[in-house]
Amino acid sequence: MSSASMSRANVPLEDSIPEAGAPLESILCTEKLQRRPSRPPDYEKENRALVGLMSALADSPSSIFQRLAETILDITQCESAGLSLLTRDGKKPDVCGKRFYWPAIAGMWNPHVGGGTPRNFGPCGDVLDQNRTLLFTHFERRYPYLMPVFPAAEECLLVPFYVAGTAVGTIWAIMHTDGRKFDAEDDRVMASLGKFASSAYQAQIHIEDLKIQVAEREKAEAEVRELAKGLEAKIRRLVEANVVGIVTWNLVGAITGANDAFLRMVQYDREDLDSGRVRWTDLTPAEWRGCAERAVADLKATGIFQPFEKEYFRKDGSRVPALVGGALFEGSGNEGLAFVLDLSAQKRAQERLQEAQQSLYTTQVELARVSRLTTMGELTASIAHEVNQPLTAITNNGSACLRLLANRNLDPEVLQRALEEIVADGTRASAVISRIRAFIKKTPEQRNQVNIKDVIQEVLALASQEIQKNQILVECEFTKTPTLVLADRVQTQQVLLNLIMNGIEAMTEVTDRPRVLQVKSGINESGDVLIAVRDSGTGFSADRDSVFTPFFTTKASGMGMGLPISRSLIEGHGGHLWAEPNVPNGAVFSFTLPIPTRVAHA
Amino acid sequence: MPNGVVFVVDDDPSVRSSLKFLISTVGLQVETFESAEAALQKLSPDAPSCLVLDVRLRGLSGLDLQGELAARNCQVPIVFITGHGDIPMTVRAMKAGAVEFLTKPFRDQDLLDAVRIALERDRARRQRESERTELQQRFDSLTSREREVISLVVAGKLNKEIAHQLGTAENTIKVHRSRAVEKMHAQSVAELVRMMEKIKGVAKKAS
Repeated sequence: MSSASMSRANVPLEDSIPEAGAPLESILCTEKLQRRPSRPPDYEKENRALVGLMSALADSPSSIFQRLAETILDITQCESAGLSLLTRDGKKPDVCGKRFYWPAIAGMWNPHVGGGTPRNFGPCGDVLDQNRTLLFTHFERRYPYLMPVFPAAEECLLVPFYVAGTAVGTIWAIMHTDGRKFDAEDDRVMASLGKFASSAYQAQIHIEDLKIQVAEREKAEAEVRELAKGLEAKIRRLVEANVVGIVTWNLVGAITGANDAFLRMVQYDREDLDSGRVRWTDLTPAEWRGCAERAVADLKATGIFQPFEKEYFRKDGSRVPALVGGALFEGSGNEGLAFVLDLSAQKRAQERLQEAQQSLYTTQVELARVSRLTTMGELTASIAHEVNQPLTAITNNGSACLRLLANRNLDPEVLQRALEEIVADGTRASAVISRIRAFIKKTPEQRNQVNIKDVIQEVLALASQEIQKNQILVECEFTKTPTLVLADRVQTQQVLLNLIMNGIEAMTEVTDRPRVLQVKSGINESGDVLIAVRDSGTGFSADRDSVFTPFFTTKASGMGMGLPISRSLIEGHGGHLWAEPNVPNGAVFSFTLPIPTRVAHA
Repeated sequence: MPNGVVFVVDDDPSVRSSLKFLISTVGLQVETFESAEAALQKLSPDAPSCLVLDVRLRGLSGLDLQGELAARNCQVPIVFITGHGDIPMTVRAMKAGAVEFLTKPFRDQDLLDAVRIALERDRARRQRESERTELQQRFDSLTSREREVISLVVAGKLNKEIAHQLGTAENTIKVHRSRAVEKMHAQSVAELVRMMEKIKGVAKKAS
């Protein structure tokens, strides 16, 4: 049976109460240290010992306590030497610990390394309580707990061990025999070595902490690397999906990498890319260089550039509009990543929209002219005024001359002046009429293929303000297939607008029923296009054909020319325009237009 | 044709000059204006006058001018002429006191008749106006006691009653009364009553 295993087996349970041992004073003989003849200090040996401890600290810091124990054994020529540390967890020194732990023992008690005692079951507790060096003789008399520890201690010298200024343990030396007695020099050397060991231990703790920190940092970095690997996979997925162009580049102008989407956009292939021929500086047209320079400036200042629109040259020299945004790689200072979104489709859509708007505008301008003509109200009033003025002047001048003539009072000079004015006003009246004629025939009649549905929708759009203002409900009905007629678009619009405006006006005073305007296009039994405009208005009060008589009007402002003109325009196209009462209220105006395309196809 | 001044407002120079020619053949003085604004600035007739006014003018319309003149209490009669008149417009103009509403071109006689009627109307109005002014001046020259007496005379009271009412002698009333009748240039009590009615009419209109 080894002494170590024996000693452990014999150590009583820690929570057992020690038997009342001898009083402390009876086993202390500290004062003898001063009385005994002291060895002279061996500084050379002590220095060597310190150097040895220092190199131990450098080589293997964890062995510093064992080395301390061995050094004490060597210098004091004792038989056992060791260290006791008060700990809570069995490792770290802790002043509030409940138990002493023996991290290092040299000499005869070496087998007991790793063992220990409860705080007050051995001499160490008394040393800490008194915070000074104590010399014991046969301490087992007071500490039965240590009785089984073999061999027994004849004399034991204990010196407090300080960590960061606090006594948390002891270093001790034991003589199991009375071969030699400890003296003051032993006390001094042990205290000196203890101080050094304490510093070394603190340094070691610090190093341990650093090691822990380093380990933690390495672990965190490993986690980041792991995470980045996952992210990289996701980014790769984005790059390879080729939904947007993705390029890596540097500030000097090179494109160092690109996905297929980008290469397709600029029509280069991977060989071009690998050869380094594809440079973003070359792909950027001169007028976009300013934008690119601003982006580079942003990159240098903030590390990113906000998305902006620019153009790239394709391989064939044509251009592709794109939205570009990107960022510098962190820490690279020169290289970065960018996405490039092809805007061709958007631009095309935008252009088409602009074209559509332009053509809508043209139509509106044209229709505005038509509406001036068709609604007639303002125009006819102005015609009447303009023609009436010269006529009035002519009549007045003529009448005046006749009066003077009757009184035989007409001076030839007066007559001449009057006649001159009469001629001038006559010329003026005819000029007014020519102007009106020119205005009405502003555009020569042009017959083209016209989709009747388009015309109806254009005119309804033009009348939309009137329709909304008068709270009219519009119902449209078209043929399923487009109905094309050969007609003058403007004149057709003119007629439709006139009919629609008449319908709206006929309903403005209706309050007891919905105001419904129905516009319907279809094919009649003769194969002609038939367009009907139906209102729920006041209908016809007189003979319904009289509405086509020139200057017939039921309106407060209006000349009664709209319907006669419309009828003559439709008849000019080979169609008919007629009116019928609507059931139960209102009127229906219908007109036909022949479809000559059938003939053309036949 | 009575004497008077005809103011013509039309923005068409031919119409303006032909109207001036036509109206001057009956010996009337004609002044022309090209806009309602110009007419408003210079129109301050002190002789019998009338306005031949085009409805459609640049700036203020003829109907606007009619309203503005009424607002200024200028009662010059108006003959409207228009190239393209409608019924509501005519009704509005006539309701506001127009003499005639003629559509261009009109018969010369129709215009000259309308002008004659307008001038006669203005002359009559002026005469009434000056009579009233004269009477008012005479009335203003009376003492307060004379006015008091006269108002009671007009009310049909006898001298005795008036004397009793005013707490004075009947002879004193007789003196007041004869002085008032003399100052008012009245020939009889009946005439005095008519005069007082004319003055009251003025007072009524002015209030």
